[in-house]
Amino acid sequence: MSNAPTPAAKPKLTFVQKCKTMRGQQIICTLVFLFVPLLLLFTFTYLPFFKMVQFSFYDRDYLRVREFVGLRNYMDVFTRSDCFQALKLSLYYMVGSVFQISLALLFATILSFKVRGSKFFRGALYFPCLICGIAVGFIFKFFLNPGFVLDTLLGWIGITNTPNWLENQAINNIVLVCCSLWKYIGQNIVLFIGAIASVDPTLYEAADLDGANAWQRFKSIIVPSIRTIVVLNLILSISGALSVFEMPYVVTNGTFGTSTYFVVMNKLAHTDMKVGLASAMAVVLLVLIVLVTIVQKLVEKWLDYRENRPHDYGVTKKEAAK
Amino acid sequence: MKKAMSLLLVLVMLTGLLTACGGGGGGKEPEYNGPSYAALKVGEDYTDLSAELRVITQRTDLVDTTFAEYVKEFNKLYPNITISYEGITNYQDDMTARLSSSNWGDICMLPTNILLPDLNLYFHPLCSLDELKDVYNFASNRAFDNKVYGIPSTGNAQGVIYNKKVAEAAGYTSDQAKLEADPNLKPMPKTPDEFLQFLQDIKDKTDAIPLYTNFADSWPMGAWDAYIGGCATGSADWMNIDMPQTKDPFAKRSDGTGPYEVYNILYQAVSRKLTEDSPTATNWEGCKPMMNRGEIGVMVLGSWAVIQMQEPDMNNAADIGYMPFPITQPGGEQTAAAGADYCFGVNKYDSEEGKIASMLYIKWFTESSNFSFDQGGVPIIKGSPYPDSLVEFEGIELIEDTQAPTELADLQPNVNRESEIGVNTDNTHVQRIVEAVVTGNETLEDIINDWNSRWNAAVDRYAPQS
Repeated sequence: MSNAPTPAAKPKLTFVQKCKTMRGQQIICTLVFLFVPLLLLFTFTYLPFFKMVQFSFYDRDYLRVREFVGLRNYMDVFTRSDCFQALKLSLYYMVGSVFQISLALLFATILSFKVRGSKFFRGALYFPCLICGIAVGFIFKFFLNPGFVLDTLLGWIGITNTPNWLENQAINNIVLVCCSLWKYIGQNIVLFIGAIASVDPTLYEAADLDGANAWQRFKSIIVPSIRTIVVLNLILSISGALSVFEMPYVVTNGTFGTSTYFVVMNKLAHTDMKVGLASAMAVVLLVLIVLVTIVQKLVEKWLDYRENRPHDYGVTKKEAAK
Repeated sequence: MKKAMSLLLVLVMLTGLLTACGGGGGGKEPEYNGPSYAALKVGEDYTDLSAELRVITQRTDLVDTTFAEYVKEFNKLYPNITISYEGITNYQDDMTARLSSSNWGDICMLPTNILLPDLNLYFHPLCSLDELKDVYNFASNRAFDNKVYGIPSTGNAQGVIYNKKVAEAAGYTSDQAKLEADPNLKPMPKTPDEFLQFLQDIKDKTDAIPLYTNFADSWPMGAWDAYIGGCATGSADWMNIDMPQTKDPFAKRSDGTGPYEVYNILYQAVSRKLTEDSPTATNWEGCKPMMNRGEIGVMVLGSWAVIQMQEPDMNNAADIGYMPFPITQPGGEQTAAAGADYCFGVNKYDSEEGKIASMLYIKWFTESSNFSFDQGGVPIIKGSPYPDSLVEFEGIELIEDTQAPTELADLQPNVNRESEIGVNTDNTHVQRIVEAVVTGNETLEDIINDWNSRWNAAVDRYAPQS
């Protein structure tokens, strides 16, 4: 506390006097107000996390510790056929998240300009985010069942020879990705709309005067202006893709090859009571997500660097080539 | 300012860490000098005892109806004991987590994933097993070291639910009089082959789905594991003592018994298209009225499910039959596994009055509420009448799995978990059999070989054989 910087000119104050100064009061207030949220943060985030890291070095279940096994759980995660292999499924969801971001960007751009009923569509597109993920899972479970909603709808337009959406292993993961996309796209759209709203409208006017069409406006004004938000969304979506749980767990319970990393982890921890191994899986996943985030941050930095250097010939060359 | 903040952060973390470490473990266990469960006389002892009890149960469907009635009845004898019920849907997992605090309530149903030697960490020993074993069925279910920690709420017999109308239309009946009157009728199937023929006949002669798997809800498929003990082997020692020390327990046996036959029935039924068209389209709530109306022939579920199939329309209740699992032992007799449903346990951190009140309620529930009979279960009190739905089990030997002796008490769970097959705890391994047929990716032999090799590795770790 005594390290709090005080103006050098003033005479030395005792601790109590310091506390009574404006600055001292500010610090005390901040500390008092911070205490509760920090305590909550610690108890419900950091403590469980440290415990989990600790668990990952033991062969144990929930109630009993069998033995300290060092790194064996981690070796198992990398050598078992079901743990790390399950991450391959995340590729589906990662590709899906790219689609999700592009689609969200498209909708957000359209809805940011004067479109009839844009308020309604904003609400409608955001609505799925408000429904509990488990409920969405159940909705799709019925939606996709053979002979139920989707097949009936397709039947109306003459498509009757539909595959079994959840059992056909060529498509069931793609179908689940689409379900996730439907659920989470609203969030991206809302963020993008917010970002687009902050773009200076005079830029559009200037672009109009220069005769720019909609695509050029989108490419040269909107995208550069909201790049930070797009990258942020991409990071969130990719780390989300690594930890997909709700959809495969509720819709298929991980059957027919839809068992993602989290579903495998859930079974190991809760059914087989291999809490140590499951904790190790969680730590590995955390490291992966941190890595992905770092890579994306680096890419962002690189983009920043490219944007901020003086307009070079690369651009003009491209333009000239057209 | 920044420094002050980081200092504070570290301080908060440290205090949190210290208090968290110190806070582990439960409270202090109060001393108990009261009478044992067996010695209590309900309606005579402690009638002026006042206590507040909190009962946690897995039967969320009965909390506001049946159980509320029970509390009223009980309060006529014990007006000063107030009882509140709490139902938990995801019972086993949630309850296990709650037990880590000592003040979760007074009575709960013992989660079966707590190993027997660990029961004394959470629960009050109600009485000695010797006092109870001649009076109650399944008294040893949650007992350890001659101490009973759990009183069974009801008992289940493992068999197969079927619709009698559908069976008759397919040419089968369990009714002896009808069999004698009509030479075209056959008795109910007793072997896997007869059973598969029975399913085939349902498919050929009726519009009903022969066997409904309930694949999509996952947990009803876990029921198949319940038949690999007493039903399939006729041995009470198989599940808890022999199987965790046996290599290749899932392998096919030459005499047509054993776990292989159970899973093979499922595999064959799905391969021969004797099940619903699309497994992922099944629906647990939807299957009850379908079974009730005769749109489903057979479902493989414990006896607890009988009443749920009758409830959609009680006019059809008599159509719901329950038959022993179709495996016959080499001697020609059929056996059926039976066991306790969830058992009542009392919080060991409860006060003495709380413990006595809890035991009084449990004893009243078990002996006076008629719960087991009303739920169509195997009676808990020895010598009580069987409900109508279990009439086909008369004369069939009911086999209750013996609890492993003290030194082997955690062997079965250890091997089961280590192998990650999850017999009786996991559903996905049974679902895998259905998946294998639908996708054509593997055969039953592949699955059985995989299970055997995993089981063998676990046996090597926990029960090495010289």
